[in-house]
Amino acid sequence: MLKEQITDTAPSEAPRETFVLNLGPQHPATHGVLRVKLTMDGEFVTRAEPICGYIHRMQEKMGENRSYAQFLPNTSRIDYLSAMMYTHAFVGVVERAAKLQVPPRAEYIRVITSELNRISSHLVWWGAFLLDLGGFTPLLYAFDDREKILDLLEAITGARLTYAYFRIGGLYNDVDQAFIDGSRAFVSHMRPRLKMYRELVTDNIILRKRLIGIGPVSGEMCRKYGASGPVIRGSGIPYDVRKSEPYSAYPDFDFEIPCFTEGDSMARYLVRLEEIAQSLRIIEQALDRLPAGPVMAEKVPRVLKLPAGDYCYATEAARGRFMVRLVSDNKEIPYRVKLRTPCLSNLSLFEEASQGMLLPDALAFMGSLDLVIPDIDR
Amino acid sequence: MEAQDEQILKDCAPFVRFGKLDELLDLGRANSLWPLTFGLACCAIEMMAAGASRFDLARFGAEVFRPSPRQADVMIVAGTINKKMASAVKTLYDQMPEPKWVIAMGNCAISGGPFVFPGQYAVVEGVDKLFPVDVFIPGCPPRPEALIEGLLKLEEKLTGKRRWPVVKAE
Amino acid sequence: MNPPQSNPTPTNPPAEKAQAAPAVVVTVTLPPAGAELLARSTLPFRAVEHSLKGYHLDATVTPDQVAAAAAELDREGFALDTITGVDWLAESQMEVSYDYFHPLTGLRAVVRSRTARENAEFPTISTVFPGATWHERETHDFFGIGFSGHPNLAPFLLPEDATYHPLRKDFVP
Repeated sequence: MLKEQITDTAPSEAPRETFVLNLGPQHPATHGVLRVKLTMDGEFVTRAEPICGYIHRMQEKMGENRSYAQFLPNTSRIDYLSAMMYTHAFVGVVERAAKLQVPPRAEYIRVITSELNRISSHLVWWGAFLLDLGGFTPLLYAFDDREKILDLLEAITGARLTYAYFRIGGLYNDVDQAFIDGSRAFVSHMRPRLKMYRELVTDNIILRKRLIGIGPVSGEMCRKYGASGPVIRGSGIPYDVRKSEPYSAYPDFDFEIPCFTEGDSMARYLVRLEEIAQSLRIIEQALDRLPAGPVMAEKVPRVLKLPAGDYCYATEAARGRFMVRLVSDNKEIPYRVKLRTPCLSNLSLFEEASQGMLLPDALAFMGSLDLVIPDIDR
Repeated sequence: MEAQDEQILKDCAPFVRFGKLDELLDLGRANSLWPLTFGLACCAIEMMAAGASRFDLARFGAEVFRPSPRQADVMIVAGTINKKMASAVKTLYDQMPEPKWVIAMGNCAISGGPFVFPGQYAVVEGVDKLFPVDVFIPGCPPRPEALIEGLLKLEEKLTGKRRWPVVKAE
Repeated sequence: MNPPQSNPTPTNPPAEKAQAAPAVVVTVTLPPAGAELLARSTLPFRAVEHSLKGYHLDATVTPDQVAAAAAELDREGFALDTITGVDWLAESQMEVSYDYFHPLTGLRAVVRSRTARENAEFPTISTVFPGATWHERETHDFFGIGFSGHPNLAPFLLPEDATYHPLRKDFVP
């Protein structure tokens, strides 16, 4: 509801003044250490200025101090909820520059694990978003489903959250039959769960009243701010890196890009839930057609030096377009590693879009942008 | 003591216990540690997983994460402390009323974690550089079971006894 | 184990210099939208093989042309991807590269520009792309590059009172 829609029944004679309310950096609803300086007129936000940097961990500086293989653990910790896709972009840019051929089995397994990771990231978002809106129960269901994914990934990678599973040239470990059977079992477990979530949560009248019409963002605004991922797909533009700059084994699979035109928080919510369904489709197809063969490229040099120049590689992470821009000067360590993260661009439209909103609506809007703050601060 | 008093104590034993009030208070505090929601980075997700359905911190009385430091007993520092964030962390610690404890969860909170390199300019190398820490839980990130073990260690620090013995590998 | 030390005096990368770009290379196949853009654009784009580099079109311009380049790409429907600063200490230059992506056609364009390293300054593009405000603030934070006309160049990721620029190659903490 915008301020213009509320008319004072008893207009006050006193001049209206605004006050400054500080949200964060420690706050249950900011999903990390984000500070927002809110200038409020009563319950309405007149200006919301995000202040970042409270979890700045020098990832780009570390890129200049680590060799290509040594930087891999960092890639998982930029956005820890979609760690596989971030590692994918980094190994992808190094393979692109070094012209390494990744075997097809490795590409398929990369897609399977990335899509499993996308589902687990969306489940965390869904649970935490509903926690922000006041519903505690979906968090427990979401985390229960997520634990099944984490069991599968832990068996092959050894880690639950910050995997460093992809290596330059392929994978570090092959998958076994238990993983394939477990993934199939998970896909058949998850589909009825999605139906249950739709009936219990998505169709819930309270959720619909809190999300429909809240935080409208136009496609033009997304373009001006560089927003990507579910934010731009909820505003009517079907932009997905997996379709526009196809990479890895994605061209082999048949999947759709969910896109809604309303541009409000409900549209972004529905995009993510639909994406879980599409990810299940991709995983099924990949498991059915998993090729045999090695999982590591031949002849990956022990000491990797990339030819001089700059290279880019973009992947569709759970939150949007993640790109690594690498500048090399023919040494063992990069000259410059630039990480183009989706949450920075997605949050940058918050200031303009949240003017005149009620405070709880502004928080619902921020939750629908799906932010992970170390992604912004790197 | 006289024989008569000893006999009375023996008769009452099934119904009445005698002990120090401090021990009772320590037991109460240990079994209802209320953590502050202070997830900074990746370890926060494992802390949330520890509070969620499979690992269930509620069994140990620690499920009630308080957003306000005035209502919290234990600050679980889960994530990297930045120099920009350090003053906010110290303010939160100061705002917590006594008795309070600190658990440093994850390598970043113990010593800066993987973000320490020669020439680093932004990370505080360990939360114990800011204020005293009671329990350190290593890992990057530590498993939820490790966080539960850290809480049990804190309970042991308070009461002197563990709920159940440490599991020994076969 | 000790990581290899960051090299303070890097070698010059060949061929990506701040000079007028040559004409289209024959072996590169651009998507149809890219070929059309290349034909009608006033910017000195050259076609690049996407599978080798990750972008389709690459232009090198002088600093005073970056705002016009942004305006043209805005009219073409591009979105701002990111702004990257690079410190070429050996050549005593600062480079800023602007990455753009097109949400409808998937084209990728790069506009890069170099200037002297001391008191490096570029005009802001935040009047064209409001999303550039944060990217330019971050580039200023890390390199000390000024962006004239920017509404607020206060530190973005560094503490509010920071006076250092950590990604410069001669930075000592």
